[in-house]
Amino acid sequence: MIVVRGAGMMPVVVVHGGAVQVPEERAEITISGVCSAARSGYLVLEEGGSSLDAVVEAVVQMENSPYFSAGCGSVLNVKGEVEMDAIVMDGKTLGSGSVSAVRDIANPVQLARLVMEKTSHAFLTAEGASKFARSVGVPEVSQESLITEYSRMFWKKNLVPDANPVECQMEKMGTVGAVAVDKDGNVACATSTGGMPNKMEGRVGDTPCVGSGGYADNQSGAVSATGHGEANMRVTLSRLILFHMEQGQSAEAASDLGLAYLKSRLGALGGVVTVDPQGNWTSRFSTQQMPWAAAQNDTLHYGLNSGEHFRRSFSEQH
Amino acid sequence: MSAVLVVHGGAWAIPDELAEASVDGVKTAARKGFVVLRNGGSALDAVEAAVKSLEDNTVFNAGHGATLNIDGEVELDAIIMDGRTLNCGAVSSVKNIANPVSLARAVMEKTSHIMLTGKGANLFAESVGFSTVPTDTLVSEFERKEWERHKTYVTGVLEDFNTQWAHDTVGAVAVDSSGNVACATSTGGIRNKMVGRVGDSPVIGCGAYADNFSGAVSCTGHGESILKVTLAKLILSHVEQGESVADASQLALQYMGERVQGAGGAITVSPSGKWAATFTTQRMAWAAAENDVLWSGLDPNERKKENLN
Repeated sequence: MIVVRGAGMMPVVVVHGGAVQVPEERAEITISGVCSAARSGYLVLEEGGSSLDAVVEAVVQMENSPYFSAGCGSVLNVKGEVEMDAIVMDGKTLGSGSVSAVRDIANPVQLARLVMEKTSHAFLTAEGASKFARSVGVPEVSQESLITEYSRMFWKKNLVPDANPVECQMEKMGTVGAVAVDKDGNVACATSTGGMPNKMEGRVGDTPCVGSGGYADNQSGAVSATGHGEANMRVTLSRLILFHMEQGQSAEAASDLGLAYLKSRLGALGGVVTVDPQGNWTSRFSTQQMPWAAAQNDTLHYGLNSGEHFRRSFSEQH
Repeated sequence: MSAVLVVHGGAWAIPDELAEASVDGVKTAARKGFVVLRNGGSALDAVEAAVKSLEDNTVFNAGHGATLNIDGEVELDAIIMDGRTLNCGAVSSVKNIANPVSLARAVMEKTSHIMLTGKGANLFAESVGFSTVPTDTLVSEFERKEWERHKTYVTGVLEDFNTQWAHDTVGAVAVDSSGNVACATSTGGIRNKMVGRVGDSPVIGCGAYADNFSGAVSCTGHGESILKVTLAKLILSHVEQGESVADASQLALQYMGERVQGAGGAITVSPSGKWAATFTTQRMAWAAAENDVLWSGLDPNERKKENLN
């Protein structure tokens, strides 16, 4: 990964599209999706936007894409319905906004940001979250507009007795997220998901839980996490990684320590994107795959399989 | 290895009129939970018993006596965590359940999930035989009056918290004779909160956390501030760095005050049986049972001692 030395800091946006097994026929479009999201987020930074603006933009793009399990394309709960969770966090104020089990909006990450900025609360759930969305003019969208053929097919498959949703999730797409640091040294994170395939109605995973699905603190860095939600929660994965960074570990070492602990303590696998206030960043995962991309300076970085790190200059078209 | 149980009934400017009932309430809960430990029960059983006692007591803002949201309804949050396995159960925004802590435990033990919210949580409750109680039975006269009073003007969360009449969360932590730790927290949230508002209580690492390698914590206070600093996890990270439970709690609460101007309290227990009840608010009703002694307090630095029996 890139290590920033010396006094200069380099703004960066890093995104992930879930620590999942991407089907062969979707690999290209998934990589294209994370690259595009990272690029859009970085453009926001270049135009003077904040890290918060950048992570929200990146995640909105992936929510709008049907190829990730967030917003449109979300996996379905056991009843065949979409229930979404999201979080944003501002490293400057430690303020966060979360929504859980929202059904009728296109961009949960935007609603999460509105919770943070327009209410004195940090977390709204279910009907309350929808009620708030209406009150601030967020358009209501139909369940149908969020459900894809793929997610419906996947749901049907998992209805079969003895189907193992956790294992099946490894065949599909997952949670999306982003971290960023802007030119002022402010860090932010955002994470958004449809949750676990065929989850119980009302099931909330790590994504909207501050410290688990994400955490951001200007004094140490920002993390967005993916993987088996319940496992990430049990170790508060994002906060754990930042504790290591507070104690002097690099973004990469801290992320590896967090993932190693997840595996040794709980036998679980996951993935994260992590950034520090100087612009050092990493994308690490203990699964075999995690589509990810980062945009910094003139370079687009990306990968899918473990160990991959491709680079392309922005002047190249893809 | 001697077992310990600590409970709290909320960190806020508890008015004198409620002081005696609050302290009596936490002492009763501590006694109930400690009986479980004395009889060889687990830390998990003990914290559930203690918190149930507090939920059933209308003096506290949890279960019976919970505050009302802006629509005049009761929405409850709770969490329970097992330090041995790091297993956890949580519910947010459940309605018409008398003991949300028990529902949280059912989520932990009867599902492969950790947290259920809203209608889904209520459906699950029904499916495992939890009886629903009418909202009226959860709403105390006091809370109904307070809700009506607040309806006439808009108050920010901080103002509500800092007023004399803001009730608060309940919780318990314990270590049993096998050295296992556990925690539980339960609340009705902030008075006149927005519909569906979730605070720190059911969020793992914030309202509570338990790990046999470091200890168990239950927090109370300004929920949005506790979320910002993941207070429970922050306290235990200090313990992991070698601080005593008292110093760890103090450091973390101080940080919360300085960094985000939030006040609160925490009860903490270590796997070796050390415990602390710490707060940066004016008062916190708390009690701790250890050996044959029942400790309790309300005001800063207050520590009363009596026989457990």
